[in-house]
Amino acid sequence: MAEQPLVVAALSPADPLGGADQAALEHTLRLAEALGGRSLAVTVGPAGAEEVLRQALACGVQRVLRIDGPAAADSDTTARALVAGLGLVPDLLLCGDRSSGRGTGATPAFLAARLGAAQALGLTELLLREGELTAVRRIDGRRREQLTVPLPAVCSVERGSARLRRAALPALLAARTAEIQVATVALPEPRQPVRLGPARPYRPRPLVLPAPVGTDPLARIRALTETDRPRTAARVITPAGPEAAVDELLGYLREHGYLAHLTREDDQC
Amino acid sequence: MTGQPGEDYREISFDDRMEGTEFRVSERAHITVDTEVCDSCTVRSCLHVCPAKLFVPRADGGILFNFEQCFECGACYQVCDAEGAITWTYPDGGLGVVFRKG
Amino acid sequence: MTEPSYAGPVSASALLQQPPPARDFDVLVVGAGPAGSAAALAAARAGCSVALLERGPYPGSKNVYGGVVYGRILDELVPQWWEEMPVERWVTRRSTMVMTADQALTVDFRSQRWGTAPYNGATAHRSDLDGWLAGHAVAAGAVLVPATVATGLLRTTAGTVVGVRTDRPDGDLTAKVVIACDGVNSFLAKEAGLHPRQDNARHLTLGVKETLALPREVIEQRFGLTGRDGQDIEILGCTRGIPGGGFLYTNLESVSLGVVVGLPGLAAAKVRPEELLADLKAHPAIAPLVRGGRQVEYAAHLIPEGGYDHLPELAGDGLLVAGDAAGMCLAAGIWLEGVNFAIGAGMYAGRAAAAAIGAGDTSQAGLAGYRRALERSFVLADHRKLRKVPGLVLSERMQRQYPGLICDLAEGLFEVDNPRPKPGVWRLLRTAVRRHDISPRRLLADAITGMRAFG
Repeated sequence: MAEQPLVVAALSPADPLGGADQAALEHTLRLAEALGGRSLAVTVGPAGAEEVLRQALACGVQRVLRIDGPAAADSDTTARALVAGLGLVPDLLLCGDRSSGRGTGATPAFLAARLGAAQALGLTELLLREGELTAVRRIDGRRREQLTVPLPAVCSVERGSARLRRAALPALLAARTAEIQVATVALPEPRQPVRLGPARPYRPRPLVLPAPVGTDPLARIRALTETDRPRTAARVITPAGPEAAVDELLGYLREHGYLAHLTREDDQC
Repeated sequence: MTGQPGEDYREISFDDRMEGTEFRVSERAHITVDTEVCDSCTVRSCLHVCPAKLFVPRADGGILFNFEQCFECGACYQVCDAEGAITWTYPDGGLGVVFRKG
Repeated sequence: MTEPSYAGPVSASALLQQPPPARDFDVLVVGAGPAGSAAALAAARAGCSVALLERGPYPGSKNVYGGVVYGRILDELVPQWWEEMPVERWVTRRSTMVMTADQALTVDFRSQRWGTAPYNGATAHRSDLDGWLAGHAVAAGAVLVPATVATGLLRTTAGTVVGVRTDRPDGDLTAKVVIACDGVNSFLAKEAGLHPRQDNARHLTLGVKETLALPREVIEQRFGLTGRDGQDIEILGCTRGIPGGGFLYTNLESVSLGVVVGLPGLAAAKVRPEELLADLKAHPAIAPLVRGGRQVEYAAHLIPEGGYDHLPELAGDGLLVAGDAAGMCLAAGIWLEGVNFAIGAGMYAGRAAAAAIGAGDTSQAGLAGYRRALERSFVLADHRKLRKVPGLVLSERMQRQYPGLICDLAEGLFEVDNPRPKPGVWRLLRTAVRRHDISPRRLLADAITGMRAFG
């Protein structure tokens, strides 16, 4: 770890700051203090994205950096831009677990991979305990597990994991006019995203029936609509056990042509 | 009054009524009620005037108060006859009710 | 800072031994409602440095009104305002409805002239409207500071206001003039001692409002409207005799249905406000208009309806008050206005502050131009002229007896009671007056008072 560790909050450019990003910013400020390090807030976006950086400045981060780029890029492009714009591997990088809107939460994973850092994602708690970064995340069955995270690391936190501190009034006023540092990075041509077509309601496959037999149209229609078929009373059976019942049902279905595409082996499973 | 349509309306629960309004709840209770004063109060105007129905009579005769879904209108402290039963403040900046229509 | 302090009825001023040598701003406006934004806009245009504090996360987030705004006063501040103001509908139908439980008489006026420039009234949502006006203040150079509560005044030991304390860390802000536009509860004006009487509740009404979503075409059909035309219905007699009234306004894709009642009357009647709203919603004259509306927001707010005779002092040393904080809502029967008075008062306050700063005298005397400007303008001229109306409208007779009297008169007039011949109007009036136990002498007196008050 460097003399003065660097803690970075990577914020999504949407103004106002989303709940998860607010938590990430608060954790950044707390951990920079705890580590005796520097804090930096960074975002990828056009000039309009500077508003969230001003909020971060008002809340007390020491430096901010805007990396010029599209506001809504895919997670990998955002991660590439962040890594290129930072130009170094920070000791700790924090994100919200997903950006508001339709975030997938994949950016921190891409970031960790590109930075070669450890990752711990979707955290509900994150703090420095006896010199070690300790985190908690949810696992199945309402349980939680505790993690010890080595540095350098990328961590994403859930909204509500920390309440963002209120900006002091002088800092708030100063942040309005503060100069925002801008980095320009060369980004690869954005890949064509998967495009979504219109959604259709579910429609089951048509049931294929054998062609009706008959010499004239009327007979064929009768056969098709089964109007000629004598009505039979429901057959009541009392199978010996579950297996007998299954055999009975399958036999009935097969007899009426519903299982024609299945073989006997399929029945076994 | 004859209106049939009104009758199903009346069945709307108070919770449903409040559902559309956004509240950013603070950790600090911005209004506190000295319920000991309330126990001896006979007027109890707060039960009727609070548009958010935050003052609820308790089975034992006292008053139960919640601060969370407050419109911050001020009606309660304005009608509270018992001296000092209600300590009323605005919630911290940015918190409390957030009207989207108003 | 020592003890954390909060804005409330008991909030106290922080006393400074010495006036601060330099001030953070020329003008500090508390509250980014219509009054505050107009004040900030006027002061910034006049060359002052201005801060505009707002306790909500955005302007309008704490504000509620019935739903109609009259924009003529904006001609001075934002020429051609109608081309950019976030309007829902332009009011072209203005109706006054008098009702009993099973009767309703409506006077309905329509003017298509109000549906074209320069327009008259409009329905709008406060979150849109207040944000729009605050945006103009910001564009003129004012610094908007949202999510910040002014918890008290900063005053010298001599009592001069030199700024406010806010609930942010290091939150003191100093200014040459503070303009308190902090709404109906106005703890700042009270703290400065500008509200002499403590019986405020008597002049307060409580408004509750439902915003009910309905498709645009349904609103057009039910209210007989096309395009952006809108209707404004004011209702008397829907409050179970509690002093007050109701309203129904059309927005583009929703309607605003509300009830406004006097706070003491509501407390005495032991009725909950939403019960009155439910009554109104079920009334045969209203139910078909709002049927099927999905409630999207329920809101409530206090309204200062004291009128001219209960205005506070409007200026102190280094302090001006405008809008609801100064009780400037006009609730005069057929006229129910507030936002236009707030904008007007704010504008004159901003100009008076700038003038006083320019002249180097921000004492109460130096700021006296504010009151003079208000008295010359509609803001106080209307209040002065209509000073007797609020009392008349909220009187027992107007609320409990006259709606029934009027409806019975209309019913008698239009009912065909063959084989009996039609009764004369005088006989109908005599019968109705007797049925409702009204003294003819009081009726005549009220009629004369009404003529004089509205004259």
